[in-house]
Amino acid sequence: MAEQGLEGSGSQPVDLKQHPSGIVPTLQNIVSTVNLDCKLELKAIALQARNAEYNPKRFAAVIMRIREPKTTALIFASGKMVCTGAKSEVQSKLAARKYARIIQKLGFPAKFKDFKIQNIVGSCDVKFPIRLEGLAYSHGAFSSYEPELFPGLIYRMKQPKIVLLIFVSGKIVLTGAKVRGETYEAFENIYPVLTEFRKNQQWYGYVHNSLPFIQSCLSNEGYKHVYFFQLTD
Amino acid sequence: MPICVSCKGNSFIRDDTSERLYCSTCGQLQDYDNYVDVYGGISGPTGTFIRLGTSGQGTDYQYRETKIHEAKKLIDDVTLRLNLSLSRGDEIKAMIDKITEGEYGQGNWFNVLIGACAYVAMRRDNKSMPIAQVGSTIGCDDYELGRMIMRVVDFLDLKKPDFPEFDIVKLYERTLQNWRMFGNLGESVKERMKKQGIFLIQCAIKWFLTTGRRPLPMVVAILVLVAELNGVGGVTIQECAKEVNAVVNTCRLRYRELLEALVKAAQVLPWGKDVTVKNVIRHAPSVIQYMEKKSMSEPRGKNDLDLEGCVGLDLKDVVRECLRKDCDADNSAAEIEKLNKLSHDSQQMDKLKLSHECLSMIYSKFLDEIENLKSSGGFGAVHEREERQYFDPHDYTEWWNGKSELSKKLLLKNILEKDVGLDPMPPSYVKGLKACKRRRERIHAAKQRIHNIMHPSNAHSDACISEDVLTGRKRKRRRSLDWEDLIIETLLLHQVKEEEIEQGWYNSLLDLHVFNSGFM
Repeated sequence: MAEQGLEGSGSQPVDLKQHPSGIVPTLQNIVSTVNLDCKLELKAIALQARNAEYNPKRFAAVIMRIREPKTTALIFASGKMVCTGAKSEVQSKLAARKYARIIQKLGFPAKFKDFKIQNIVGSCDVKFPIRLEGLAYSHGAFSSYEPELFPGLIYRMKQPKIVLLIFVSGKIVLTGAKVRGETYEAFENIYPVLTEFRKNQQWYGYVHNSLPFIQSCLSNEGYKHVYFFQLTD
Repeated sequence: MPICVSCKGNSFIRDDTSERLYCSTCGQLQDYDNYVDVYGGISGPTGTFIRLGTSGQGTDYQYRETKIHEAKKLIDDVTLRLNLSLSRGDEIKAMIDKITEGEYGQGNWFNVLIGACAYVAMRRDNKSMPIAQVGSTIGCDDYELGRMIMRVVDFLDLKKPDFPEFDIVKLYERTLQNWRMFGNLGESVKERMKKQGIFLIQCAIKWFLTTGRRPLPMVVAILVLVAELNGVGGVTIQECAKEVNAVVNTCRLRYRELLEALVKAAQVLPWGKDVTVKNVIRHAPSVIQYMEKKSMSEPRGKNDLDLEGCVGLDLKDVVRECLRKDCDADNSAAEIEKLNKLSHDSQQMDKLKLSHECLSMIYSKFLDEIENLKSSGGFGAVHEREERQYFDPHDYTEWWNGKSELSKKLLLKNILEKDVGLDPMPPSYVKGLKACKRRRERIHAAKQRIHNIMHPSNAHSDACISEDVLTGRKRKRRRSLDWEDLIIETLLLHQVKEEEIEQGWYNSLLDLHVFNSGFM
């Protein structure tokens, strides 16, 4: 796990086998959950613990923060806890353990059960502008591009099941992964597609190049029909 | 045990209607005794008369029927306020009927649903109606409406081409057509404004000025520019933005971006260096004329004869036209003669095309000759001319040809194929590059500072503050380091790659490399 924490952080050269694009998405946020397996008195926690806030009228959980790793936890009366803000899986687990320890010190028989990474958010920059209109047109089955509502194109990849926010500046946000490999895989899948729609390229001539990728993304018959309709349109 | 008040008998029967007792012997109706206990005293709970299955004031309508009736009335009202036809209203009703399974609804959310369905119905028919307009009509937030629109689209499973993308060109046409300020304009002026607007919008699409941005502010910017070019007075950004419910500051920003793009496009002209954002409006006719002619030429790549430094159209016409008009204003036959001579010379220089250098030379020569004529008193009307350094575009409308295909709605691929003499990068991308460059300079300065500390003997005094710190408006006075410099120093000392620092995700890098708390 310690090695995982280092990967993609820039201290080591990029592994081109795992990242053929040469770009490694930077992990920005990890959301994890854990069950402390005991009922908690939130008021008592809020009164005793430092860096804790509790406003039952606003939100039915104690919001607790620690500095290292710089994270925030939502602690519920049922004993369930959500830890957000960590930059790696290891950090997230370490932070969750620290929160559990704090709860123990406050006199609750807290355990550390069912720790699970729920979401990994990563981001990267492909360093070229992307013609979003073209991408939305040719990948209509997966894309939602509504500039009236949101400046980026929302790309819902089927395999791995990741949502990508693609911006015209070439900045990409990947979210929805449970393991970091999914984030990397999603980026490696989308990268060739993005290069097709980079500025100064005639995107409409390259639609067929992405056929294998799109087919791999299609997970059910319904999408197949949509896809071929898009192509023949 | 009760006793009859009349015969003292003790056998009673309860009357079914009044529920009062009457004596079974004499039939005397007894006093009312069917009281119900009221708890809580005088201030205790009071009952409400409820009659199931009815509502309203004295009507026998069922609740559901009333609700549906009111909902349909509301739909008609919103349809009317949005200036939509009755048939469109029916379409919206059918859509809501399907979504709510015939139940319709009441309350604020129902207004939002009507607005969303109206938007979807219009867009489905390829008639672009902006979300802002719908939102202001029904009195709800753009984002709230946007969320509802996405839910409607998902529910109805609308995909392209049944649900086409938002068409900014249609929006421009619609705004031009519906705005009452343009109601008095002649048809020919309106048609010209429409074509010019479409041309500029498609240029803006090509220039990434619309990608990832709300379409409405760009439409406002182009409408204001086109109105100005056609001498339609009183069209300000504020008014226009207010009319279409756009944010004024964003409209101003888009207007400025559009002018900046025109300035860049003007650089290819011989007098391009003189064109700035402040005076580009005066030069806009010649710039747009150049762009129009350029767009009518063969696209780059198809014409193998295009060489570096040569433009793909005959710029002579543009230059001659502009200069001729300039001279016409002075009624100077001598100028025209000189210009024709120059044109003749230029034709000899290059029969088909002119390079930038040639044009620049022609123009400089022209200016020199004019200057000579002025100094020798050759011009009678020189003083009149001095009052107007530039020609007024309003006096002169022939610059617009309107024959370019870009004046008609084109598909994106066709727009991208066209060459209008400018192909810039998206503004956000350019900003990103600038930010990256700034960080690189800071990294370099930080490295110098570290080097100076590590090797004091080789220290250079001035190299330790990045260039942007020295030139930055705010920090010029202080000439000191800020938090960003210190973070960069810290990251460099922790062996973080420079390329990663350049990306600017300092918090992530600090967490991963400096605090190092992830390692157990």
